[in-house]
Amino acid sequence: MKIERNVLIAVLMLAALLGAVLRDQYMLHLAIMVMFYAVLATSLNLVVGYVGEFSLGHTAFLGMGAYTAALCSTHLGWPMWLTLPAGGIVAGITGLLVGAITLRLQGPFFVIVTLAFAEVLRITAANWIALTNGPMGLTGIAQPGWLAGSGTTDAKVFYYYVALLLLGVAVYLSYRFVYSNAGRAAVAVRENRYVAQSVGIRPLTYALVALGLGAFLTGMAGGFYAHYISFVGPEVFGFPFMLSMIIMVLVGGKGTLLGPLLGALLVTFLEEYLREAKELRLSIFGLAVMAVVLFMPRGLMGFLLRRREQRAAAVVATVARPEGVA
Amino acid sequence: MNAAFLQVSGLSKSFGGNQAVRDISFEVGDGEIVGLIGPNGAGKTTCFNLITGFYTPDAGRVRFRDEDVTALKPYQMARRGIVRSFQKTNILKSLTVFENVLAGQYLVAKQPLWRTFFPGRVVRKAESEARERAAEIVRTMGLDARMNAPASLLACGELRLLEVALALAARPAILMLDEPAAGLNSHEAARFGEVLRTLPGRWVKSVLIVEHNMGLVMGVCDRVVVMNFGRKLADGRPAQVQADARVIEAYLGSAVAEGA
Repeated sequence: MKIERNVLIAVLMLAALLGAVLRDQYMLHLAIMVMFYAVLATSLNLVVGYVGEFSLGHTAFLGMGAYTAALCSTHLGWPMWLTLPAGGIVAGITGLLVGAITLRLQGPFFVIVTLAFAEVLRITAANWIALTNGPMGLTGIAQPGWLAGSGTTDAKVFYYYVALLLLGVAVYLSYRFVYSNAGRAAVAVRENRYVAQSVGIRPLTYALVALGLGAFLTGMAGGFYAHYISFVGPEVFGFPFMLSMIIMVLVGGKGTLLGPLLGALLVTFLEEYLREAKELRLSIFGLAVMAVVLFMPRGLMGFLLRRREQRAAAVVATVARPEGVA
Repeated sequence: MNAAFLQVSGLSKSFGGNQAVRDISFEVGDGEIVGLIGPNGAGKTTCFNLITGFYTPDAGRVRFRDEDVTALKPYQMARRGIVRSFQKTNILKSLTVFENVLAGQYLVAKQPLWRTFFPGRVVRKAESEARERAAEIVRTMGLDARMNAPASLLACGELRLLEVALALAARPAILMLDEPAAGLNSHEAARFGEVLRTLPGRWVKSVLIVEHNMGLVMGVCDRVVVMNFGRKLADGRPAQVQADARVIEAYLGSAVAEGA
């Protein structure tokens, strides 16, 4: 707990320092995408890693956040510091509504219903032309006014720090949730529903809190994406985003706070450098995910943690042995 | 006997054509340890599931502290102070012993939701109290040496103790244990009996226990309820029940019928 907190703080501070020295536009863009994906992976991990239900519909919240921010910006002229929270809140409410229905299901049923939900939203976004401009998407999402006068590098640095702030919020809220009574309740439900109920935990409550929080964070990230790319189309609801999030959470290690950050860093850079491989890229990812699931079921962080546990087990074994001899 | 604390009357449940529990009535008084015994398949665990809300009874009522709690959900039962353990060991496997007991204190450490994200002194105090109490419960159950060991590494006997610790953590008024001594050797069972006897008055008010280890049941319980084929056969002090001809027949078979 203490170690994880200190490492998280160190990572965020390092990122803050990096923003002050990094001036290469391409690297800045990559760093922004890493942080954007880190927020997504962190929020998905709340559901997959701590509640233990596999949501394939997390892009629904990403899209809700992106479209809300884009619409508030283009139609109402809201500034960015209002559109991001608005995107988060709309996505959060969507999350609570979807969760109230779907979290009563478990296992494959939950997976299928969430997937279907995201797909329905994607089709709606592609066809409700009056509101969303259909497949053409919403363009011309306003940038903060003062950015117009400054150079593109300055704009990138600005977005870098917005992304970092967002990541900070995501990590802080997740940390608070995970190491609270509520987080312990969620983990208890994940580990054993019957035990959880017999000590007074209502399973739906904490699954809903985790999903609502995850949706809120994803929605803010969606809003950020809308402003940063300055375009939102129906593909924000699409499966490729979902795929990236899943790979990041699984590779990094579900059920840990550092795992998704590590996963986001690795996968974003891999995606970038595997561009050369074109279609082969997805196949390589597929193989990587299969290898992780088979050989490191708890991801990279789980792998590191297990080595610590094994040392603890060795200690327990040596404590137990003298009794056996005597 | 003290005033009725937990009162079960006319409880029945059938699964398809199989009437697992028929018209069971008994009481558990304040401060009592009551044993629920009977041959395999007598309906003891079904009875437990009916009382704790894991099954809904077909008929009958469960009253607890002058409140009708029939067919409430398990988590609602727990909030009223009825907490159970399971026959098939149920713990939070990937957590340590300490974390298990900490998670069990959910109701005690519960806070308003906003406090989860903006904890202040109140939450820190509640958390440190929960940690102290978790450590105390682990010590009470004699698991101190395993405090930080992952539950998945525990031996069978230790797991049973952890299960009781987890149930105790929820601060029950009545603790319901389903075969807690299964898998314990006779030495461990005797020690477990000693721990059990210290619970009423200190950690819980009453205990209802399903158990096959007769030495443990007769040594620890104030009163014993015997079930057979879903019905209540006898109800009384351990010595009374042990002398009851119908109970002996249920366990050992009828001398006349079998001996001929």
